[in-house]
Amino acid sequence: MIRAGRSLYSRIILIIAVVFATGSVVLGMAAWFYARVAADDAYDRLLVGAALQIAESIYAQEGTISVDPPVSAFETLSLSTNDRIFYKVVDPRGAVLTGYDDLAAGRPVAGTHAPLISDGEYRGFPVRMAIVERLVSDPVAPGWAQVVVAQTREARVSLARDLTLKALLLVFAMTSLAFMAVLFAVRRALAPLTRVERELRSRDPKDLTPLDLEIPREIQMLVTTINRFMDRLSGRIALMQRFIADAAHQIRTPLAGLASQVDLLTEESRQERREQQLTRVKERTAELGRLTNQLLNHAMIIHRAEVAEFDTVDLAALARQTLISAVPLSLDRAVDISFSDPQEPVLMKGDAVSLREALSNLIHNALKHGAETRLEVRVLADGDAAVVEVVDDGPGVPVSEWQRVREPFHTQSASGSGLGLSIAGDVVRAHGGEFRFRERSDDGFAVIMRFKRHHEASVPIDGGDAS
Amino acid sequence: MRILLVEDTVDVGEAIVARFERIGHTVDWEKDGGVADEVLEVQSYDLLILDVNLPALDGFSILKRLRQRKSKTPVLILTARSQIDDRVDALDLGADDYLVKPFDYRELEARARALLRRSAGESTNQLVCGQVTIDRGSRAVAVNGIPIDLTRRELTLLEILTARPGRIFGKDELVDQLFGFDDEPSANAVEQYVARLRKKLAGSGAEIRTLRGLGYQIVCQ
Repeated sequence: MIRAGRSLYSRIILIIAVVFATGSVVLGMAAWFYARVAADDAYDRLLVGAALQIAESIYAQEGTISVDPPVSAFETLSLSTNDRIFYKVVDPRGAVLTGYDDLAAGRPVAGTHAPLISDGEYRGFPVRMAIVERLVSDPVAPGWAQVVVAQTREARVSLARDLTLKALLLVFAMTSLAFMAVLFAVRRALAPLTRVERELRSRDPKDLTPLDLEIPREIQMLVTTINRFMDRLSGRIALMQRFIADAAHQIRTPLAGLASQVDLLTEESRQERREQQLTRVKERTAELGRLTNQLLNHAMIIHRAEVAEFDTVDLAALARQTLISAVPLSLDRAVDISFSDPQEPVLMKGDAVSLREALSNLIHNALKHGAETRLEVRVLADGDAAVVEVVDDGPGVPVSEWQRVREPFHTQSASGSGLGLSIAGDVVRAHGGEFRFRERSDDGFAVIMRFKRHHEASVPIDGGDAS
Repeated sequence: MRILLVEDTVDVGEAIVARFERIGHTVDWEKDGGVADEVLEVQSYDLLILDVNLPALDGFSILKRLRQRKSKTPVLILTARSQIDDRVDALDLGADDYLVKPFDYRELEARARALLRRSAGESTNQLVCGQVTIDRGSRAVAVNGIPIDLTRRELTLLEILTARPGRIFGKDELVDQLFGFDDEPSANAVEQYVARLRKKLAGSGAEIRTLRGLGYQIVCQ
C-alpha cells in the first residue's frame, strides 16, 4: 500500500529554505555588529582628535590656567551635522575652565597620556565620550588638566545602518541565487525517477524484462531492486503456469483412468476381471484424493508463505505432535516409530501451520515409500541451526534424483502425486532454511530441514536441573 | 454396537453404512443436522460419526450441543474442509478423533474400532484388548479367561492404555496419571511398569509398543 508522503521536491526546498533563512539572520546580525564597530572606530578618531586639539590649547600664564579651544577642533566634529557636541575643560585643581559643568562630573583624573573612550549618557542622549588629559607644568598649580568631549551617536548609528543594509543586500542577492540554483538542481536530480516511471508506465503488462536505462548511481539500487522484483515475479508466473499445466495433467490422467475402468466394469462379466478393475478403480480414487489434498495444501502453503506472520515456534514440540498425529492406525506393516530431541525447546521463527504440513508430508512420504521397519524423527539444536531429520530404513532417493524429486509432480510411481517433497521444500524456502537429503547409510536415508535457530533473549538461563 | 452416522453425501453414507453393517454393527443414518440433533437427544449411541458440512445444523454445532448435554459418546469427525482449521476446532469442541475426506476406509474402520472399544468398556465396565479382559469393577485382569496378577499401578497403566488403543501416550502424561501427590513420580518407574506388564501380557494379543521419544501405545490383535 503506497501512502502519499510529502513530495521529495518540497521536502528538499523546505530544508534549503530553513537553512538559508537561518543563515541570513545570522549574517545580518554579524553585519550589524561589525558595522557598529567600524562606525565607532571611524568617529572615535575624530572625537579623540578634537579632544587632543582642545588639550593642546591649554596654557598656563603666571599662575592662571586658561584654554582657548581652536575652531578647527569643532569643525572636525561638525562633519556629522545632526549630532550635538558637549565638552568641558577642568584645570588641575578641579575647577571647570569652560564647557558644560555637569558633563562626566566626578570623573577622577587618571593622570595618563592615553585618551579614554567610553559610552555614556548626557542630558538624556546616548553619547560617545573621549577624555584626554594633559600635564600642566605651571609652578603655581602643577598637575593634570582634563578635557572631556562627548558627541551624540546619530551619525554613528546611521553609518552602521547604512553598512548593514548594504551587507544584507548582498546576502539576499547571494541567497536568492543559491536558492534558484537548488530549485533547478533538484528538478534535474529527480528527473531520472520520472524517466523510470514513464518507462514502466508505457510498458506492455506482460513485459517483465529488466529496465534498461541510464541512471545516476544514487538510484541504481532502486532500479536494481525493481528489476530483481520483476525477475522474481516472472519466475513465479512461469512456475505457476507450469504448475497449473502439470496439475491439470495430473488430475486428468487418473480421472480418465477412472472413467475407463468404470466403463470396462459395466461391460465386463468375468468375475476375475471385474475384481481387477475394481482394485484399479479403488487405487485411482485414492490417488485422486491424495492429489487433491496435496494440491490444496500446496496452494495453502504458498499463500501462507506470503501472508503468515512468524511466531516463535518450538520445533521439538511441533515435531513430536506432528509425528503423533501423522502415524495412521491402519498401517499394514509394523514400523518402529521413534522420536528424539535435545530434551529442551528448540526455538525458531516460523509459521507453525506450514511447518507442521511440511513435516507431516515428509513423514507420510517415508511411511509410504521408505520405511521398511523403522522411521525416526529427530530434532537437533546444532549451534545456530534448528534441524529436523526424518530418517527411515528404506531404499531412499538416489543422489542423481535429488534435484528432480523436489520439483512438483516429479513422481514416477503410480501412487503418489509427487508434491510432498515440493511442499516441504517450499516451506523451508519460505523460512529461509535449507532442505536436503543424506545418502543412505547404516543409519538410513534422511530428509533434512534446517532452519535458523532463534535464541530467546528474555529467557533466563536455567542452570539447575530439577530432576 | 449402535452407531449414528450423520452424513449428507449419499455415496459416502452408503459406503460407511455398508461397511459397518458388514462387520456386525447397527447403523442409523441421518442426512440432516437438525434431525440428527433431535435423535441424539432421545437416543444414545456407542459411536457418532459426524460430517461437518450438513444441512440445517452443522457438525460442530451438533457436537457442541452433545457435549453440553454431558454425553460421553465418542465422536469421530469427518471433514472435507481445510485440515488446518478443522483439526483445531474439532478437538477443541470435544471430538475424539477426526478424518479428512477423502479417507481410506480401512483407516476409518481402524479408528472407529478404537473408539467403539472404549465405548464398550465404559458401558460394560469391561475393557478388551486381544485376549486380555479387564474388569474395571472388580479390578481383575484375565488372559484367555485365566486371571493374572497385576499390582495396582500395573493395572492402572493397562487401563489407561487399553481405554484408547492405538493412541500414543507420552511418558509425562502417564507419570501424571499413575502417581498421586504423595508419590515420588519418575519416568523410570513408568518404564519398569511397562516392562513388567509386557512380560505378564506376553502372547496375549495385547502388545505395548514403545515409540522411542514419544511414549507408549497398546496394539490389540
